[in-house]
Amino acid sequence: MWLDEESPRRQGALQASLEFVGALGLLLFASLRGILQARIELRETLHQMAFIGAASAPIVALTSAFTGAVVTLYSASLLVDVGGGGFVGGAIALAMTRELAPILTGIMVTARCGSAIAAQLGTMKITEQIDALRALAVSPVQYLVIPRVLASLAMFPMLCMSANAAGVLGGWAVAQAFGVATNTFLQSIRLLTEPFDLIGGLLKTLVFALIVSLVSCQQGLGTRGGAAGVGHATTRAVVLSMVLIFAANYFLADLLFAER
Amino acid sequence: MSKTPALETRQLVYAVDGRTILHGIDLRVDYGEVVGIMGASGSGKTTLLKCLCGLVKPTAGEVWVEGVNIALLSERERMPLRLRLGIVFQYAALFDYLTVFQNVAFGLERHRRLSKAQIREIVRERLAWVGLEGIEDLYPSQLSGGMRKRVGLARALAMDPHIVLFDEPTSGLDPVNAYQIDRLITRLNRELGLTAVVVSHDVVSLMRTTHRIVMLDAGRIVAEGTPDAIRASDHPQVQAFLQMASAERL
Repeated sequence: MWLDEESPRRQGALQASLEFVGALGLLLFASLRGILQARIELRETLHQMAFIGAASAPIVALTSAFTGAVVTLYSASLLVDVGGGGFVGGAIALAMTRELAPILTGIMVTARCGSAIAAQLGTMKITEQIDALRALAVSPVQYLVIPRVLASLAMFPMLCMSANAAGVLGGWAVAQAFGVATNTFLQSIRLLTEPFDLIGGLLKTLVFALIVSLVSCQQGLGTRGGAAGVGHATTRAVVLSMVLIFAANYFLADLLFAER
Repeated sequence: MSKTPALETRQLVYAVDGRTILHGIDLRVDYGEVVGIMGASGSGKTTLLKCLCGLVKPTAGEVWVEGVNIALLSERERMPLRLRLGIVFQYAALFDYLTVFQNVAFGLERHRRLSKAQIREIVRERLAWVGLEGIEDLYPSQLSGGMRKRVGLARALAMDPHIVLFDEPTSGLDPVNAYQIDRLITRLNRELGLTAVVVSHDVVSLMRTTHRIVMLDAGRIVAEGTPDAIRASDHPQVQAFLQMASAERL
């Protein structure tokens, strides 16, 4: 009896998951096809690059600076005590380039832009603006999705670079308080990090860019109902994007850095 | 008048989530005609309109737009055919982040090879047709409901469509604005020979704008004829609808 009562719910969740994966795959395919056929709305893409990139840079840099500072606060207090003050710079640079900067970029852009994308597209859906686009023979994928995907792919690595710089800078400021000299700090960065640490982190952000832009667009375009539907779509876009970013991050870390 | 109808549906069926919305609709709209689709909320009027313009793919049956069965086409193949149709949505569906000018020019900028000056002239002219000059720089949020609907009509007319589909053009409007929209539909039909399909539950509006009215009930056509014939119909559902509509007005 218990199983009988639960099975439709489980079946519903499974079906919803499969539908989500299917819809995401179709949107990815349609976007890639549009990009390959050079059907790109340049003005809208530049507008989205400004929104996702330039406007997000201060908040990404600020959170990264504080994250770099707090990680240094913990690591420097331990390392300096055991005579390892010379490794502080390298430790923070390694943490930022491989993990913290890509993840912080993904999370902050999801919170700031993913939610806005889902809400905007959701509102357009329920007010028939998406139908109006189609009625004017303009593909919503071409006009709305591709610019957001391209803008994300272009701007995530740049945001990650600024997150790296801000995080290391925040770490350096705190390391000063622990008596770590600037030369020693920079020397340890050169000693402990390799170019691939930076490149690997930037590669991660490309995957995160696809996750945030596609999930937010898919949730927005799939909005049903009125204002409550837009709210649900926005929440789902943020939650799903973040969960997928963390899951992807594990597999990417394994793929890119496990052997290093 | 061409022998090929402007629009035609044959045994059109639309079902969603196991619920059938339209049951085998046969409808024909000839060039130069204004056809009204009347019915209560939930009778399938808007779904029929969306099937006619290919925004919704029918479950079964045929939808012919100027001699092309769009039910057989993919979304990509249907896209260019939509340029032959203008659609005026119930709540205008203006792009709220664009100005009136950008809304009306939207299709022109993407599908016509025109200079900026030519586009500006067409936008000005279409806005003049609907009695809205000098509002090009306003945003939709700065317009009244009636003005938004007229901008929506101007946007549809900008592409020189052969047929215009109206979804509840007078709903939510005061009698003066509703009358203006009705006059506009009649004038466009008389002066430009525009073919139109008007979906509405506003009986007065349909009686004064259309040549022929089709009554839908629960996804089926229950009556069809001129406004006078519909008014004189003894079909119980038509009579019930007309009586309720007139009671609502009082």
